[in-house]
Order: sequence, then structure tokens, then C-alpha cells
Amino acid sequence: MPQNIVTEEKVIEEIKKAVAETLSGDASTIQPDNSLIKDLGAESLDFLDINYRLEQAFGIKMARHFILEHIEEMFGEGTAIDENGQLTEKAVQFLQARYGDAFPGFKANMDMDEVPSLFTVRTMAGGVMDILNTLPEKCTKCSSVAWKSDDGVKIICASCGEPAAYMNGDDLIKEWLTKIQDEKKIC
Amino acid sequence: MASRFFARHDRACTEVVAGSFKTRRSIQTLLQSRHMYFPAGFILIYTLMETGIFQDKVALITGSSRGIGKAIARTLARAGADIVINYRRTGGSSEEQAKQLCTEIQGLGRRAWMVQADISQKESVRALMKEASEKAGRLDFLILNAARTPFKPIEKLLERDLRQLVDTNYLGNIFCIQEAVSLLEKTCGKIVFISSLGSRFYNVSYPLGSMKAAMESVVRDCAEGLKPKKIAVNAVCGGIVKTDSFKVLRQLWEELAYIPEELFVEPEEIADVVKFLCSADSRAICGQTIVVDHGFSNRLYQPMQTKKKEEKETGL
Repeated sequence: MPQNIVTEEKVIEEIKKAVAETLSGDASTIQPDNSLIKDLGAESLDFLDINYRLEQAFGIKMARHFILEHIEEMFGEGTAIDENGQLTEKAVQFLQARYGDAFPGFKANMDMDEVPSLFTVRTMAGGVMDILNTLPEKCTKCSSVAWKSDDGVKIICASCGEPAAYMNGDDLIKEWLTKIQDEKKIC
Repeated sequence: MASRFFARHDRACTEVVAGSFKTRRSIQTLLQSRHMYFPAGFILIYTLMETGIFQDKVALITGSSRGIGKAIARTLARAGADIVINYRRTGGSSEEQAKQLCTEIQGLGRRAWMVQADISQKESVRALMKEASEKAGRLDFLILNAARTPFKPIEKLLERDLRQLVDTNYLGNIFCIQEAVSLLEKTCGKIVFISSLGSRFYNVSYPLGSMKAAMESVVRDCAEGLKPKKIAVNAVCGGIVKTDSFKVLRQLWEELAYIPEELFVEPEEIADVVKFLCSADSRAICGQTIVVDHGFSNRLYQPMQTKKKEEKETGL
């Protein structure tokens, strides 16, 4: 797979812009480690709006569903969140594997409603970077292998100008879950 | 201050003035009425100041910090009503927007209050009605606008999703009706439910539609049940309305890009029909759901599909 040519700084900058536009705030006051919910006051509908703006900017499809929802869809209801609305051990293992040391906060029996507030501008950038890293080998239209970007945000084929076709966010999470399940034998 | 004094002391007069002050006839009616002990000049100045048909009436709109609810709050306030703004989450963007709306409505010279409540919880609804009635002193219009949904096909909903869907959009609305009846019967009040075309047509990843269908049935039921209490119950069913939820729709439904602009509905266009259903002009309408969609649902033939096909053929 070729090297993604969009930098993390650029992604963070675009996220700040999208968040500021959605919440009518000032992009320059947003910090990468701000929690979107706790610090910036975003709500579920706002997330969809932010996602939409990022999709337009980068030419990607963000995940429609959060990782916990994918776990339950793949492994059954109750596998990630128990009947009291709390995280299971399995969910914590997956979250730690995905977000590593960025969040020492994940623990079993944590209330599911507390999870989204841990997510920051930087976590969101990680999700966008994962999608951008699926930049295909060749252009789907002309099979050229050269990519370019004029604005550092949208990558297009250097020869025919076709936008890069990335994997969509939900498929990426599903693929990752399957891989981790096999490798780490989370059960 | 003067106008408030006036309004409180002579409600009938206020309504004559407010309802149709533009016509010569209403002025004549006014002059012929028994209220002539007010100096005519004062009345004329008053008629120009206070034109709202809902002067001194109180509207509670659930989920009114944004979108259609916000537009309804503005429209009813402009028509003279005092407004109770309800929102669910504290500390987030909706509370912030509710605050701004509250200030804006107060700026129109109306009273406005914000009350936090989660309608899916019966206790929360009880507290909402209690606070609204304590603050506003009465309730004339209950607008059931709040909604909450996951965006997934029904067969993929987890038990938790399903319960939340029913708790908010079905039970929550019914709790609101039940808890508001004692207030609304004192004012010959109105209940207006905000539905959407998802109640009768398939829409991608839109399980809320099934709840809207159930509520349109609840509207028919309550319209009859509450008739002896002189409470009118109706609904407004919106087409594709340009709100925050529209941003969700455009992510799930790619064909949206092919729908002609003239078929989109503005939140204010829904609000105007709500205003009509709250007014005396709608007195003969009972248990109905009025579709407000610029004719979108009227078309069997959908122009967007043709356009898409054409684009494919010409390779655009």
C-alpha cells in the first residue's frame, strides 16, 4: 500500500475547522486533547455533522457506528455492554487494543455513556488517518500509481485527477476487529 | 408594561385587536364594544404594538433547542405566545442553543423559560410540567417535537436501541400528553405532534419512522379521548426538512443529492402549520396529520432516479 500523503497535523487542522463550524466556535481555541463532548460540548447530532464535513473535505466515508456497536453486531448483544449498560471485559480489551495507552481510562464496569466523552480531537484524527492509510495502490479509473494533493487534504490521481477511493470507516473497523480477535484471541 | 396590564384586564378585547387589527371592521367592532372607556388613541397605539394572536398563551415545545422545535418556538413567540423551551442534555451544545433561543424570545418581549427534562422518564416529564406550570402559570399548547433515534435498519437494532427508541418516541410522548392534560383542559389547549414521512414510507436506516406511525395513531386516539376536555390533538408530518437531522440523512441516503431543491421543506414552513393548528382557525380539525412536504410524497414518479440514470448513461 502506498504512503498516505496527508499529514496528521493537516487532519487535526481540518477537524478543528469542522468542529468550529458545527458548534459555531473558534477553531484556534480548540486543542488536540480537548474532549469533543466534555470540553467542546458536542452531542450526537453534532458528531454526524462533523463527520459529514470531514467526509467532504477528505473524500472519505467515516464510520457510521462506534466500535462498541460493531463488537455487539459481530459477537452478539451483551458482548460489549452488559444489561446494566456497563462495559464488559471483552469491550475493554478491544478498546485498549485499539486506542492503546492514549486512554488509561478504560475499565470493565465503566458506564457506556462515559466512553464517548473520552474521545478527543486527536482520537478522531486517528480514525481519519486509519481511513486515509487505505489509499489504494492504483487509481480505480486509469490504474496510474501516482497520487497527488493540491491542498494537502484531498488526494487525487496524478494523471487523471480521479479522487482516491478509500475503504469506508465501518468496513475498516470490522476488518480490524476480526484481525484482533484472531491475533490476540480475545474472547 | 402598559400592554401587559391591558391584556390581563381585558382578554376579549385583546383578542379582537390582536386577531385582525388591520381591518377597518375590527376597529369598528372595537369602537362599538363596551370597552370604549379606554381612550381611543390608547387603543390604536396598543393595536400597533401587540399584534400576536397568541397573546398571553403559553406553549411548551419538547426538544426545542434546535431544528424544527426551535423554529416552532420562534414562530409561536412572534405570534405572541410565551415559550417553555425544553432540552435533554445539560452542558452540551443543545443547552447552549436553548439559552440563545431563550434570550432571543425574551428580546421579542415574550416570556421564555428553559426546562431540562428527558421525556423518556416519567418522573422527568412530571417535573417538566410542574416547573412549566409554576413558571408560566398556564399551558395552552403542547408541541411534541422531541425525538431520538439510532440510524440503523430495524433488524439490526439491539434490544437497548429498541427500548430507547420506544421509551423516548412513543412512551415519552404519551407521558407528556398524560401529564399535560390537567393543564390543557383549563385552557381548551392544543396538542400538536411533529411526525415525518417515515411514518408511511420507507426511508433508509430510519427506525424512527415506525414510532412516528405509532404516534399518528395515538394522535387519532387522543383526539377523541380528549375531546370532552376540549383539548384538540393533531399532527404535522414533515417531508425532507432542512435541520440538523438533514445532515444525517444526506450521509445515509446518497440519492438525496438528486432531489430537486424545491421539494425541501424549511423548518419555518412546518412551524407555520403548527401555528395554524394552535389557532382558532383549525377548530374543526380533529385527530388529523397534515403532510407538509411541498408535494414530495405526492409523486409516484421520482425525478432524482431519472436524473441519476441519465448521468450514468452520459458518463457524467
